[in-house]
Amino acid sequence: MSYNTENTLLYVENLSVAYGDKVVLKDVNFVEKDVIREDKVTGQVIAFVGRSGRGKSTLFRALTGLVKPTSGKILIADVASKTENDAKQVLEGDVGFVDQKYTLFRNKTVVQALEFALRNKNLSKEEKSTKIKNYLAEWGLEKVKNQYPSELSGGQRQRTAIIEQIFCSGHYVVLDEPFSGLDVGNIQDVKNAFNLMSASHEFNTIIYSTHDIELAAELADSIYVIGYPTIDGKRADFGTIVKHIDMKERGLAWKDFGLDHIEIVKEIKAAMLSS
Amino acid sequence: MKKIFTPFEIVSKNTRWFIILFWILLIVGFWVVSSMIGDTHLFPTPQQVLTGFTELYNEGLVVHTASSLFLCLKAILIAIIISLIFAYLSTIPLIKPIANTLSKLRYLPLTGITFYLAIMISDARVMQVWVLVVFMSTYLTTSLLSMVSAIPQEEFDHARSLQCNRWEVLWEVVIKGRIDHVIEVIRQNLAIVWMMLVTVESILVAAGGLGFLIKNSDKFMNHGRIIALQIVILFVGLSIDFILSYLRKAFFRYSKI
Repeated sequence: MSYNTENTLLYVENLSVAYGDKVVLKDVNFVEKDVIREDKVTGQVIAFVGRSGRGKSTLFRALTGLVKPTSGKILIADVASKTENDAKQVLEGDVGFVDQKYTLFRNKTVVQALEFALRNKNLSKEEKSTKIKNYLAEWGLEKVKNQYPSELSGGQRQRTAIIEQIFCSGHYVVLDEPFSGLDVGNIQDVKNAFNLMSASHEFNTIIYSTHDIELAAELADSIYVIGYPTIDGKRADFGTIVKHIDMKERGLAWKDFGLDHIEIVKEIKAAMLSS
Repeated sequence: MKKIFTPFEIVSKNTRWFIILFWILLIVGFWVVSSMIGDTHLFPTPQQVLTGFTELYNEGLVVHTASSLFLCLKAILIAIIISLIFAYLSTIPLIKPIANTLSKLRYLPLTGITFYLAIMISDARVMQVWVLVVFMSTYLTTSLLSMVSAIPQEEFDHARSLQCNRWEVLWEVVIKGRIDHVIEVIRQNLAIVWMMLVTVESILVAAGGLGFLIKNSDKFMNHGRIIALQIVILFVGLSIDFILSYLRKAFFRYSKI
């Protein structure tokens, strides 16, 4: 499928994160650009895979500004700037974050949570209300709009958490293992949520981690493997990117899962096992 | 029948009521029998207790109960305000050691506290309030501190990812997000408070209260009155417990503690 890339949306350079003396991530470098396809709004879907304890969650906390990098920088597109292709250092709240438990405010209903997410936006009360109404209808949350998180199903919680982050942070959402522990129906719900988000704005960028390699190969247009690198024949004890598979370049992005995807899965598994 | 003797067995609602009724009858039966047989009785007869109730009622039981409740309410309000301030501010590194120290003071004996308060306060009623406040604040702070530390990191991260500054995180996650937990903490600590209140009232005799009535009855070895008072104290305590639990569920639909 033909595509072009334009503005840089995510730029990570020499990123390292340490907790005290323990270096968790080191020398992480990657760039993601806006993918343009003809006649179709296409956001970016980026998957991170890797064995447990390799630093995926730490990378996500750094990407969302929740943890300060020890060194290196993370830049995202500054959509508020009038200069084209302008970038800014990521700060808390710039990149939305949906954790594995789909955490929401326990004392806010779906509508209250979405209103809160829009509190700093420069929109009138009516505009906010219309925006919330549209999203509730589109994402199938109309019926549960006055319910609290404890009264929602896992899928409903997750959709609320994603919309909340889209409202607040704009174009970037990081999801930590969104498919973990979900049944077939819920997985389909998340896939639909990805499609909805991806199709609603060119700049929308979904970054997620998963242990389900097939789902990474099926949904992502860019896959990164995080693992312990082998340096001078020895395996290091910090995480970094050990492999990048650009599904677009390989002609496998935006296609139904097929035999070629299985080959990618094998490739990823091999990279994971050796790191 | 075998089911009610089997561990982890689930029984029907009717069976549950039957078991409760059985135990009540057994206790009442034991009471009646034990108060009638032999020369020395551990418990007064039901008739003595009933007489005790009537006497107490005529002596203003309702007024004394109201007096104790008012004292309890006053002390709990002051104690919860102090404890909440320390618990909420314990999220600030500078304040954390003070909050932790306040919590540790629960090991101080009541007599010592009373001694120092007696130097500062002359009015017995005010003294009662402050003995309770000092005593309760330490327990409430302990429970509230553990409530704050039990909040999962994900909830703080979630608020931060929604562009909340640190004060907003404190407000949204800890203060607003845990009001129902505060009520639950009060409810759980109420038993100690209620027990202490009666003790404090009987040690520092002031204008009245249930503790004052117990002290008086105790003086004249009036068993009937003592048991009658114990029953009143137990039921008032259980009623407050029930009301707080009801309020939490009624006002905070999301609360699933």
